[in-house]
Amino acid sequence: MTYALEARNLHASYRKGGEEVLKGVDFILESGQSLGILGPNGCGKTTLLRCISGLIPFKGELKLMGDDPSGLSRREIARRASRLLQTGEAYFPYTVEETVLQGRYSKSSGIFGGITQNDREVLERVLDDLDLNAIRHKQLNVLSGGQQQKVFLGRCLAQESPVLLLDEPMNHLDIKAQSELTDHLQEWRSRQGHSLVGVYHDIRMAARLSDRIMLMKDGRTLYYGDPAGALDPGRLEETFGFDAAAFCGL
Amino acid sequence: MNRQPDRKRLMAAVAVFITAAALILCVGTGSVRILPGEILAVIKNKLFDAELPEQITQSMAAIIWEIRMPRVFTAFAVGAMLSVSGAVMQAILQNPLASSYTMGVSSGASLGAAVIIILEISIPLLLPGAAFACGLSTVFLVLAAASSLDGTLRNSTVILFGMILSLFVSAIVTMLSAAFSQHMQRMVLWQMGTFAGRRWTHAVGLLAAAAVGTLAVSLKHRELDVMSFGDEGAAAVGVESGREKKKLLVIASLLTALSVCFTGVIGFIDLAAPHAVRRIFGASHKYVIPMSGVIGGGFMALADMLSRTVLSPQEIPVGAVTALLGAPFFLWVYFGTRRRERE
Repeated sequence: MTYALEARNLHASYRKGGEEVLKGVDFILESGQSLGILGPNGCGKTTLLRCISGLIPFKGELKLMGDDPSGLSRREIARRASRLLQTGEAYFPYTVEETVLQGRYSKSSGIFGGITQNDREVLERVLDDLDLNAIRHKQLNVLSGGQQQKVFLGRCLAQESPVLLLDEPMNHLDIKAQSELTDHLQEWRSRQGHSLVGVYHDIRMAARLSDRIMLMKDGRTLYYGDPAGALDPGRLEETFGFDAAAFCGL
Repeated sequence: MNRQPDRKRLMAAVAVFITAAALILCVGTGSVRILPGEILAVIKNKLFDAELPEQITQSMAAIIWEIRMPRVFTAFAVGAMLSVSGAVMQAILQNPLASSYTMGVSSGASLGAAVIIILEISIPLLLPGAAFACGLSTVFLVLAAASSLDGTLRNSTVILFGMILSLFVSAIVTMLSAAFSQHMQRMVLWQMGTFAGRRWTHAVGLLAAAAVGTLAVSLKHRELDVMSFGDEGAAAVGVESGREKKKLLVIASLLTALSVCFTGVIGFIDLAAPHAVRRIFGASHKYVIPMSGVIGGGFMALADMLSRTVLSPQEIPVGAVTALLGAPFFLWVYFGTRRRERE
């Protein structure tokens, strides 16, 4: 069986011979499943997503839909996995529509790489799904942080890749927008059969959105399993170093 | 219904038309005023052997064909190359102040020119050749130094090394100017930039380079768009940003080095034209690249016309005119479009 993602004893550091940021990460994610990653700041969550995207060399075993990402071209990785970054910044006045369409880059072909009819159809679907139609011609720099986050998510969805890597997708979003985004993601997943890997800070949100939860600390997997097991107060305390369950009212 | 692309195409057509009109104005303006109809008659005569109307003398035809037109088209080509190069640098280095000059092209070229001027060697094309070689060598040095420290060519590393090397090379040029003061005037004049005395060989060569360079960069318009959001964002949608960045940095530096070696250092256009174009056409490089070429080229031709006519018969350095004229034009475009956005 080919899994969406497999990691076995994964180690990684940013510089050759430098300090390891990942010191043993293990998990297997089946296609169509959703994984939530929780852990304190600096525990290696974003680094793990960078490894999956083929941006950082690693030791151990890592497979993205059956293949080692370090052997795949950047374009092929983007066809398999799209990634929402923690921060997205627009230096120039791109419109919402132009930004979402950038997600179609990995599907483009030919020397001119123009926008196809299919690209336009995907654009319309994404703008509809994320309620971005009314602001499609607005420039990113006049939008709120929450709206911008939705646009960048739209760019990921436009990639139509089977694996979605979301690094703190609820950043900048108020609670209503968080609720809407959760619904969008659930609906998108059920319709498209995406696998989803999300890095979260909100434990309840992670439990709500995920079939599997991974608790990470100091670059290692402390727990990988169903959400109910991850909510165990003892495990959360071991992960975060304080009584996180009580703080979150679990 | 989405009417945005239609509107942009119309605006692009208007910009091309205005630029063409500006070029005709530039050819017609000078110590001898020439009407657009007379210019067209001379072009027809030279290209298709059509007969010249009686009121056009041979000397007038020579002024138009041999002096004004090559100069105007050289200015247009150089303006286009500098503007396209500036647009590329700003996008891939994600810095609104970046240009090929940031990468040390102009200081390197100035050093090459200074050495040839000091050595007093007068072999045709040696001075521009040395300027070109030294300008590009400086860029490759910057890229090599930045790559050795940081294989992914982070923007801040590239800009930092560019600035450091650029200042270092400029200091050598200053020392040479001081040490060989008998050549100082020529060195300073070369650095100021001029289009005086440019011939059809310059114009045709530079126009061809501008066209090829603009086309090469235009083919990368989607990569440029994605890279404007940063290396990691570019990688996320499938762009090999390190490789593409190197390619585009080299093409942009080539365009600038070619301009600088034949005309000297002319600033401001490379910085302002792409920003003005973004304000009018939006950020998509599908429009930013070709329209930077058209508008930057037209603007340079107008600046050159003013440089040779305002204090005629004396010429003002064209770099001074680009900044004097460009700064208020840039503010007008910038604040004008901002006001419209608010409304």
